Amino acid sequence: MKLPEVEYEAPTTVAEAIDLLAEHLDEASVLAGGQSLIPLLALRLARPAVLIDINGIDELSGVSAADGWVAIGAMTREYVAEESEAVADAVPLLAAALPLIGHEAIRSRGTIGGSLAHADPAAELSAVARALDAEFVVRGPSGERVIPAAQWFEGYLTTSRRPDELLVEVRFPTARGDTGVSFQEVARRHGDFAIVGLAASLVLSGGVISDARLAFAGVSDVPVRAAAAEDLLVGERPSTELFDDAARRATDDIDPPADLHGSSDYRKTVAAAIVRRGLRAAADNAARGSD
Amino acid sequence: MTAIAAERYTGASIKRSEDPRILTGAGRYVDDIKLPGMLHTAFVRSPMAHARVLSVDVSAALALPGVVAVFTGAELEAMTVPGPDALMALMGWAGPTPEFTLLATDTVRLVGDPVAVVVAESRYLAEDGCELVEVEYDDLPPVMDAAFALDPGSPPLFANLGNNIARLHSRHEFGDVSATFADADRVIDFHIDVHRHQNVPMEGRGCIASYDADHGVMTMYAATQSVHVTKIAVAMRLGMEQDKVRVLAGDIGGSFGLKIGASREELAVAAASRAVGRPVKWVEDRGENLTASGQAREESFDVRAAVSNDGALRGLDVKMVVDTGAYPGMGAMVPDIMEAMLPGPYKLMAMGFESTAVTTNKATYVAYRGPWASETFVRERVLNLIARDLGLDPVEIRLRNVAPRTDPPAVMITGRPLVGVTTRESLERVAQLVDFPAFRRRQAEARAQGRYLGIGVATFIEAAPGPRSPEGPSGPMGMESMRLRLEEDGIVALFTGQMPHGQSHQTTLAQIAADEFGVPFEQVRIVVGDTDVVPFGLTGGSRSATMTGGVALHGARQLKAKVLDFAAYLMEASAQDLLITDGNVWVRGDPASAIAVTDVARRAASGQFGADVDAMLEVEATFDGGEGGWSGGTHCAIVEVDAETGIVKVERYVAVEDCGALINPAVVEGQIRGGVAQGIGAVLLERSAYGEDGSFQSATFMDYLMPTACDVPRIEIEHLETVPLDADVNFRGVGEGGMIVAPPTVVNAIEDALSPFGVRIYEQHLPPARILELIAAADPDQ
Amino acid sequence: MADITLRVNGATCTGSPEARKTLADFLRDDLDLTGTHVGCEHGVCGACTVIVDGRAVRSCLMLAVQAAGSEVTTIEGLAPDGELGTLQQAMWDSHSFQCGFCTPGFVMQATAFLSDHPDAGEQQIREALSGNICRCTGYQSIIDGVLLAAERNRER
Repeated sequence: MKLPEVEYEAPTTVAEAIDLLAEHLDEASVLAGGQSLIPLLALRLARPAVLIDINGIDELSGVSAADGWVAIGAMTREYVAEESEAVADAVPLLAAALPLIGHEAIRSRGTIGGSLAHADPAAELSAVARALDAEFVVRGPSGERVIPAAQWFEGYLTTSRRPDELLVEVRFPTARGDTGVSFQEVARRHGDFAIVGLAASLVLSGGVISDARLAFAGVSDVPVRAAAAEDLLVGERPSTELFDDAARRATDDIDPPADLHGSSDYRKTVAAAIVRRGLRAAADNAARGSD
Repeated sequence: MTAIAAERYTGASIKRSEDPRILTGAGRYVDDIKLPGMLHTAFVRSPMAHARVLSVDVSAALALPGVVAVFTGAELEAMTVPGPDALMALMGWAGPTPEFTLLATDTVRLVGDPVAVVVAESRYLAEDGCELVEVEYDDLPPVMDAAFALDPGSPPLFANLGNNIARLHSRHEFGDVSATFADADRVIDFHIDVHRHQNVPMEGRGCIASYDADHGVMTMYAATQSVHVTKIAVAMRLGMEQDKVRVLAGDIGGSFGLKIGASREELAVAAASRAVGRPVKWVEDRGENLTASGQAREESFDVRAAVSNDGALRGLDVKMVVDTGAYPGMGAMVPDIMEAMLPGPYKLMAMGFESTAVTTNKATYVAYRGPWASETFVRERVLNLIARDLGLDPVEIRLRNVAPRTDPPAVMITGRPLVGVTTRESLERVAQLVDFPAFRRRQAEARAQGRYLGIGVATFIEAAPGPRSPEGPSGPMGMESMRLRLEEDGIVALFTGQMPHGQSHQTTLAQIAADEFGVPFEQVRIVVGDTDVVPFGLTGGSRSATMTGGVALHGARQLKAKVLDFAAYLMEASAQDLLITDGNVWVRGDPASAIAVTDVARRAASGQFGADVDAMLEVEATFDGGEGGWSGGTHCAIVEVDAETGIVKVERYVAVEDCGALINPAVVEGQIRGGVAQGIGAVLLERSAYGEDGSFQSATFMDYLMPTACDVPRIEIEHLETVPLDADVNFRGVGEGGMIVAPPTVVNAIEDALSPFGVRIYEQHLPPARILELIAAADPDQ
Repeated sequence: MADITLRVNGATCTGSPEARKTLADFLRDDLDLTGTHVGCEHGVCGACTVIVDGRAVRSCLMLAVQAAGSEVTTIEGLAPDGELGTLQQAMWDSHSFQCGFCTPGFVMQATAFLSDHPDAGEQQIREALSGNICRCTGYQSIIDGVLLAAERNRER
């Protein structure tokens, strides 16, 4: 399973990287952590003419918090984000999801930006970004633009990043103090991709849900916000019946794919179960937080 | 010299001699070997399950810089001698014999079927070359299940057979089947399926072939369970004299039955080496290993059981179909072993066994750790289904059915005596180790909270090596040979045809020999892996503990006698007054007389003796298994099933095993735990999946899921070392037992967990989605 | 092909690997360090695990050129003077392994894990090693080796 021949470039600045992307467009693949791309190359499923290795671009790493956002450089390693106090304090849903990504060795190399640019709909980070309305900062020959998560994920392994653009940063909004989160995942084994996953975040104000975010991993070709279920939850007090209703509403609208690991019906059933469990856990966390 | 040491290695968990190199990265596996001028290979493989090959154009591949040669199936046919599969020939197969070429020529019969081999300066370039080989295929309808294969309208995979029958239908009866069923209080019948899964050693198949044209000698560096069987296979296919082939093997990264003889790819590589005149290496990648190396266990059973109201299983009538995949392998032979083993340790009065096997467009059915394991699955499922019908508990139903240990021993309805079988004792011991009443209380409390716990029990026996046959040993496996020699430097060397690939023979055999001979453990060396040097042998069938342990024991004893005769001459004493302990020979009662074994060896090698003195300190020993015997036991699992997601966790696993005397308890326990892990994997995670269109769906570790450290609990093991059968050799094998009995143990537990839903389980693979389907389809009132 | 320089097991090494050559293949083929094993080439089995700049990584998922300027430790680097380290000794004492093919990956992953989590308990160790596949042992003996090493490290 050897990689096919490929040209290799290792720019040291974002500008250089963009020039290369502009030159090669769809013939190039950006090599970040490599934990998703290199297996595709080894299986000869991906055949880029050029690899643009951005590991040498130092300015792309780092976590900073300002103005209600936590900005994470695209090349920030997953383990760095996992160890980051800024992330733990301000983006608890991301902190909850990070340890579930693969295994330690994967997180040693895998990057926040790389994972989100790869946009696997079963990936934990995809669901978190969608749930929190994260913002994706891309830079291209004509400058920088910010893409909200709702527009970032376009299809299976497809984002709205243009071929001559580089994802440089992902921003997550700082969670309010009374937020409770839960990342639920049903996977075949510890560390596997989710068969179905749920990023859930609730804000409780005076015991009433004032904000609800639910995003699924693994139920479509992109991460899916369960908007109708969120609407149902806002303004209500947590209860088993409410969460059951939300679970039904959330799964009414989904038509998950079938594969070796589960049929469409199976995924729907499990999705409903994890909505119930995720909401219960998030509500408990929120209640604890507001004590 | 030191005071007399009463060291006893046998029975102790002596640290392994293998580990210093294993733990420091100094092991030598096939892919670690580099020979001067060595080339690398990759195979062009069919992307389709069944097709005619219309043309193969290698010109673009040959033009790629770094590609040295490309051989098509047709060219390899011309370079080799067609013949039957070596292993099948060795085992005396007399059934339908498909004719096919070494690599595919006019027909491809599975996804991954090799069509051509590219030889290049690196594996990278060889794979590049493969992409440039243009093959034109003409689709044929794929035969993807037994039902279609049995249909005379299915396209035959092999022209010379004219159909897809790999084993002619046969039926045998033992006892009075019709009367037993006619008289039964009840007859239950159902269908059971065991799914396709596979060996998956961490090291795939591979070899280096190095042909020395000057001497006409082929040297193979192999990963194999028997260097001699590989040699036979290579010599036969290459049309070479046996003594012109030498097979060497070093460290091997697991096999579990996969690496026996020589695969079609390895034979092609040998032929390629001869053709290009340079050493040629092939190491399969994981995709090849999962897709094309071979798979196992795809068997289906129509089962009828004659049962009496008190839970006695009086008769079984089983109709079995094996899906043997595309090319001949073990699959067609496995029904014979299953038939023999199906009664297990129980008092069956009658048994009917019918079988057939079919060829399909899937990977070849190969031996996988306990190839006959499905007989235990079927039998242990039957007992649980009966127990459920009659409201009996799983231990009780088995106690009612197990044959008592009598003298003379009870005899299986299929003929073998259950000598020394301690199934009853192992069931009773499990019932002591696992508090069943307490579990049932906890289970009830959990159910009230919507949590589903279950407990499962299963028993097995394993012919490791099996009881002594009244007709004496038979077949190439009936006797074990070993050469033992006291080397000039004082090392006691054991030359064995065993080919350890995780079994720790380097350690265990040395323990036995050291004890028997009287030298320290470090003074024994086990020599394996060179056909020029070791006698015939094969590691497999859970036989080495008895057969090789036995020949090591008796051989060491014989060598010691010879050495004492020589020492007697040196010491001017009588041999029966001499002892060897702690590496010294001395006269009983006179410690000052001691001379080191090392000195005795040196003297013998100095060679200045008259004809009446035998200074050749070497023996050729053989052992026929002595009284042999069974291994076996009872396993018990407690699981929790999440009824909303179908995820199963194995909470507790207990194994009570009897393998007679233990040579090295840590080694025994490692074998058991590894086998159980594979059984858990089979039930919860592993499936070699094909689509109806013939596509192969589990070609990576993302889809073929292996159990990890979070999937396998601590396995509690207790040993019953109860019944010595032989004056000397009471070690029995454990290699396969764990993998044989774990699947029914776990499935029984899952069914117990889901009993409130009325779930009955008639299959072995229970991924989460399937668990939810079973719950949804079940009738709680059943 | 570019020339790269890196430090492997404390020694400076150079090479000119093709860009597409993985670090695993570079270590094995170009540097003759065959202790690192290749089990799947798609980042799942962990047999190829080495330590790069202090972190355990799957060397089949790194290009050799990406290791330029890095400090790499392979299994051969753990006992350079022939004396087994604490973890290796504990694994020997615990009968951790059988065929040995997965061993280098487990040893390197466990080495990295224990240095960050010296007081880890069994469940934590199991999760940390759940990305390494062993087909022979059922894992218990490996876990026992790691627990024993942790205990012995604490006793020092």
